[in-house]
Amino acid sequence: MNHPMMPKPPRRDWTVLAMLAMVAVLVVASFASLPLKWREFFTLEAVNSTLELLAGFAPPDLSTPFLVKTGWAAIETMAMSALGTLLAVLAGLAFSLSASGRFGRPARALMRALLNVLRSIPELVWASILLIACGLGPFGGTLALAAHTAGVLGRLFADSLENAAPLPEQSLRTNGASAGAAFFYATLSQTLPQMLSYTLYRWENNIRAAAILGVVGAGGLGQMLKYHLSLFQMQQAATVILAMLLLVALVDGISFALRRVLTR
Amino acid sequence: MLELRNLSKSYASGRPVLSNLSWNFKAGEFVSIMGDSGVGKSTLLNLIAGLDTPDAAPGDSPIIVDGVPMSGLDDDAATRLRRARMGFIFQAFHVLPHLTLLQNVALPLLLNGLPTARAAEMLEAVGLGGRGDDFPHQLSGGEMQRVAIARALVHRPALVLADEPTGNLDPDTAHSILSLLRREIKATGACAIMVTHSQAAAAMTDKTLQLSKSGIQETTIVNSFKQ
Repeated sequence: MNHPMMPKPPRRDWTVLAMLAMVAVLVVASFASLPLKWREFFTLEAVNSTLELLAGFAPPDLSTPFLVKTGWAAIETMAMSALGTLLAVLAGLAFSLSASGRFGRPARALMRALLNVLRSIPELVWASILLIACGLGPFGGTLALAAHTAGVLGRLFADSLENAAPLPEQSLRTNGASAGAAFFYATLSQTLPQMLSYTLYRWENNIRAAAILGVVGAGGLGQMLKYHLSLFQMQQAATVILAMLLLVALVDGISFALRRVLTR
Repeated sequence: MLELRNLSKSYASGRPVLSNLSWNFKAGEFVSIMGDSGVGKSTLLNLIAGLDTPDAAPGDSPIIVDGVPMSGLDDDAATRLRRARMGFIFQAFHVLPHLTLLQNVALPLLLNGLPTARAAEMLEAVGLGGRGDDFPHQLSGGEMQRVAIARALVHRPALVLADEPTGNLDPDTAHSILSLLRREIKATGACAIMVTHSQAAAAMTDKTLQLSKSGIQETTIVNSFKQ
């Protein structure tokens, strides 16, 4: 029984129930439409062959020459991600000015459409396109990371600029600051910590992406992994996978620490 | 210092806000402008600052600042004039939150390419000496307005424009802020124009002008500083 003083509970919205029912139908339809061979997957034979494959990875190749080679590839992957992110920051910042509406509505709509295109194409597809233009190696991979990340950062930077409090910049303009000085002193400095945080987060993503991009020939650890897996050299592949894990953990740690400092 | 000659302004809809205002403001004068809401007080400040354009025939210049006709200035030149010759004080302070007090006060000096040593002197003059490294969020409203006053006067502007500078402050703080503003204006010899709704604030100025639909005229307010 309702308490006489309590307000009536809000009416249940049927649209929520309809949405949940639609999600359920989609999940069931997904399972039904895909040829998932669950029965074969859980057979003893499948389990045995999986264990046999995994056993081939042990022990990883820890010989000095191979570790040195893996170390250089890790540095190449790290450099690709760092340079790709840096290029993306520069391009994203330049794009975000018009995407935040500073040069009028048509320029904003046009730039946002371009940013949508840049970020909706995954890094692997960018790499496949750019490797044709630039040839195999880290250059195409770096450009692929930069292209996709510029789309992501451009959009995030533009949103930050749009959401920044407008009064400080207006007040500086009133006081006779040039448009550039007012932007740098008031708006960019307001949004800089958030932009740095986004950049570090994207760098974390790019280190993982850089490791994968090697698979399509963009150099670094990914290229080594593809090479050794294709030759069924599982112990060398295991070393490369371990190097990838270490590199990702290292960058995640650095990025997390830096973001904590920035948001303190 | 500032001359208004038949200044008029209408909105885009054609509705007139200001009609044929004429007045001479002298250097070293602290003048308040009062009037009902919507009569055009803030519009008048924006026109004087060159942030808005008056209705004027080509070649006419209804606003002359320090001998310079505002109508003859393009946007960049008006920006340079504001930067070098004007200081602004706002009701909501508009102090930059991510800069220290010293950096906030030094900003007009930096923008004008002047040495920044005077910023610390101005902070001292407004009673905030030794707090240059603090940030605005550590201040009360009255202290924030002191910083705004220091920032408005640090580059020795010839004209100070204040839009309801005590509108967000309690009466005691408002009195102390206006005393400070008056003292600093008299020390620098600037002309200050303050828009206000407060009789108490207007009473602290040299002269009070009443703005109405029929024009602008001097009005009498009991003024402790005049006696």
